[in-house]
Amino acid sequence: MGIQFKEVSFQYPSWGKQMFEAIKNVSLTINDKDEFIALVGETGSGKSTLAQHMNALIFPTSGTVEIFGISVTAKRDKKIKYNTLRQRVGLVFQFPEYQLFEETVEKDIMFGPKNFKVPEEKAREMAKKALNMVGLSDKYLTRNPFNLSGGEKKRVSIAGILAMDPDILILDEPTSGLDPVGKNMLMRLFQEIQEKTGKTIVIITHDMDLVYEYTNRVLVLSNGILEYDGTPNHLFHRDDISKWHLDYPTTITVLKSIKDKFHYDIDIYQKNVNDAVNTIAKAVQL
Amino acid sequence: MSYIDIQNLNFAYHPKRPILKNVSLLVDKGQWIAILGHNGSGKSTLAKTMVGLLDPDSGTIVIDGITLSGETVYEIRKKIGIVFQNPDNQFVGVTVRDDIAFGMENLGFPQAEMLKKIDFYAEKVGMKAYLDKEPAELSGGQKQRVAIAGILAMQMDVIIFDEATSMLDPTARKELMDYIRQLHNEGLTIIMITHDIEEALWADRLVIVKNGEIFRQGSREELLKEPDMFIEAGLELPVELQISNALKKRNLLSLEMEEHLWESSLKK
Ligand SMILES: Nc1ncnc2c1ncn2[C@@H]1O[C@H](COP(=O)(O)OP(=O)(O)OP(=O)(O)O)[C@@H](O)[C@H]1O
Ligand SMILES: Nc1ncnc2c1ncn2[C@@H]1O[C@H](COP(=O)(O)OP(=O)(O)O)[C@@H](O)[C@H]1O
Ligand SMILES: [Mg+2]
Ligand SMILES: [Mg+2]
Repeated sequence: MGIQFKEVSFQYPSWGKQMFEAIKNVSLTINDKDEFIALVGETGSGKSTLAQHMNALIFPTSGTVEIFGISVTAKRDKKIKYNTLRQRVGLVFQFPEYQLFEETVEKDIMFGPKNFKVPEEKAREMAKKALNMVGLSDKYLTRNPFNLSGGEKKRVSIAGILAMDPDILILDEPTSGLDPVGKNMLMRLFQEIQEKTGKTIVIITHDMDLVYEYTNRVLVLSNGILEYDGTPNHLFHRDDISKWHLDYPTTITVLKSIKDKFHYDIDIYQKNVNDAVNTIAKAVQL
Repeated sequence: MSYIDIQNLNFAYHPKRPILKNVSLLVDKGQWIAILGHNGSGKSTLAKTMVGLLDPDSGTIVIDGITLSGETVYEIRKKIGIVFQNPDNQFVGVTVRDDIAFGMENLGFPQAEMLKKIDFYAEKVGMKAYLDKEPAELSGGQKQRVAIAGILAMQMDVIIFDEATSMLDPTARKELMDYIRQLHNEGLTIIMITHDIEEALWADRLVIVKNGEIFRQGSREELLKEPDMFIEAGLELPVELQISNALKKRNLLSLEMEEHLWESSLKK
């Protein structure tokens, strides 16, 4: 189960202009359990386009995306309720403005659950809970989502998907626009959801520190081609990742500079600040 | 006299919820300042008052000696430009080319010069191949680059970047920051609103906003020595200094290590 891409290509409609293929022959499998995946790559490499295939928001030009056993191909099948897939696979858009549309934050977050037949009162409860989970107080329930700050909008759009409680969560640049406290809080929240429920989470991000600290699998897109599918550790051991416009996590860069300067015999591949500190501490105390 | 002189600014969207509280800020010509602050602290609101998109309830904004008001707002917008947090708010044209041209048209640039500038700045932000595309057809990071090109092309004295690079990949961001640094060396005054401390450290001065007030400001060297202040404002120190401070707490920080981490945090 989960999501399988089988030789998927996608072209945006071109209206007489030169054809442009945003996704090129991508095959990959995303399990519906126990994955925390980072989808990374240059701006314009096709990340958001690929993500929108994962809940049938867009349909491949060729190939098949199988989502929880349902085949999504270029030809729409009238018998398939693609809508139900969007409950099982929740997608948070890159720009919250594309997702928010109701006149209050509460209605906006309730929309998902209500749409999937959750009773009004229960949906209201879920909305409130989801709002608190993203670090906003009940005061925001009555606010107009369009009159929020950038980071507040982002949080509300994430709360909208959390309230739907999908089986797989896809988050398109969820931390862009968030302040450091919000960023860390949400990443820990995603991690907790992942660990407690086993749900698979996919995040698109340019922040290599987050990729290294939180995820266990990385997909690298470049010009619509899936160039890498493997562990973060293996990725950051490579010396050629700048060709994909990627960078190394700060912990690695810092530890490498320390290793070079102080000639410590240390493993520079540490995933977070804590581990980096412990690594240095051990070397210093020797 | 400072190029930008903001005194005792107050602003509220709703009378019951004050957003900017007595904000005063001076920016000299050619300075590069970074504004940091938690979500909803009032950064974008402050930026919008500076370009006359929002009217303060009280206080004054003087730019290059001109007091901002209904009559002077168009004159002031020839001096100070803003790149919005969401680039969609900036797009009006049918094509990327139109969009980059729009600001220059408003300023009355001659046609021939405009065409040259469009090519030049599109190239600078790496969007030359996209000039005939529709803005709606661009990826998020591409939209941000086009929005930046449009403002750069207007060649103003001051540019406010409101989280303008948040969706760029690491390489594109570095290239753009290098270019902005070059423009800064040529005299551009920069106000950069960002949540990325590494990006903020490119500035000469950090301004920290908390709950609509200027919480603290100073040089990066000065403020980075106050880790508690960062935490209080809901911010984060650069990773190098997080490591340094943690080692210090455990009494394991040698002078050389402290120096090394300090320097690496600043040398971006
Ligand atoms: N149009 C509006 N109407 C009413 N309130 C608003 C409006 N825009 C922003 N606010 C509120 O004003 C406060 C400051 O918003 P502002 O956009 O200035 O924050 P910010 O510091 O830029 O935050 P962020 O880091 O999330 O971009 C927030 O609490 C926000 O909810
Ligand atoms: N609606 C659209 N119409 C035409 N082209 C598009 C559209 N959306 C995106 N593209 C193009 O497809 C490519 C991939 O875009 P996207 O998936 O948004 O990239 P990413 O998310 O990796 O930055 C980009 O070159 C972009 O210009
Ligand atoms: Mg995208
Ligand atoms: Mg803002």
